[in-house]
Amino acid sequence: MSYGDDTTVIARTVARITLPLVLVVAISLLFQGHNLPGGGFIAGVLTAAAFALVYIVFGMEYVQETIFGDEYEPDGSVAGPAVVDRYRTLFGVGLAVAAGTGLGAMAFGKPFLTHTDEVVKPSTEYVAWIPGADFIFGTLFKFHWATAFLFDIGVYFVVVGGLLAILAVVGGE
Amino acid sequence: MLDAAVGDWLSVVALTAGPSGPDWLVPFLNLGLFVASAVTLLCAYRVVRGPTTPDRVVALDTIGTNVVAIAVLWAMIRGRGLFVDVALVLAIIGFVSTIAVARYVTEGDIVE
Repeated sequence: MSYGDDTTVIARTVARITLPLVLVVAISLLFQGHNLPGGGFIAGVLTAAAFALVYIVFGMEYVQETIFGDEYEPDGSVAGPAVVDRYRTLFGVGLAVAAGTGLGAMAFGKPFLTHTDEVVKPSTEYVAWIPGADFIFGTLFKFHWATAFLFDIGVYFVVVGGLLAILAVVGGE
Repeated sequence: MLDAAVGDWLSVVALTAGPSGPDWLVPFLNLGLFVASAVTLLCAYRVVRGPTTPDRVVALDTIGTNVVAIAVLWAMIRGRGLFVDVALVLAIIGFVSTIAVARYVTEGDIVE
């Protein structure tokens, strides 16, 4: 069978175009979240919105069979709890990552949830013969690594897992 | 040290930078803000009064679009790119919510 039979061609096409854009915006907000507006929470909300779009347009069976590979029983009632369990696992993993970044600070003798950061710039010593090496390696690949980013990843998993579990349970009723 | 940190923070968050375009554009941007706000008020009337549910849905969607427009105009007036992020997120969530409500109105349930 094909998915999304009861939605219009317009909805399916627009969803197919919009989905990657939403995910890219979510990832960019996640990466800039440690010193600009954005962060794990809003990135998680946008990812959950993208999955909600797939739920609405293509139906829940599409997500379960195509993304997670869960086979449906003929009576169509078995695979529901499996996806919710995956989301619960994601929630727990995210909570562990977020709390782990706080405990990691205690391993270095600092108070709980102390964060640090460092601007990493690749050395241009051996690639100076490349035209524009200063721009490519000094500006383009300069990244501001912060341990708050790891905390943001934990928050991201918590938000994605929680919201998608709520969506799956409420939508399955 | 503390002053430098506060200055950094202000340079990101401050709302008082110049416009991001030529100066003669600013009155037009202000006019656009005024028009968008006025239209939002009219949509609020339609949300409260609207006889049918689709009227209210369309009015709420238009309010969301107007808020996106206000955020972008504000970003252009103040020269701060932060509000473009706000507008993007608002537009995405408004799009998904509009599709969800449209499906609820036509089909009766949102997720099959």
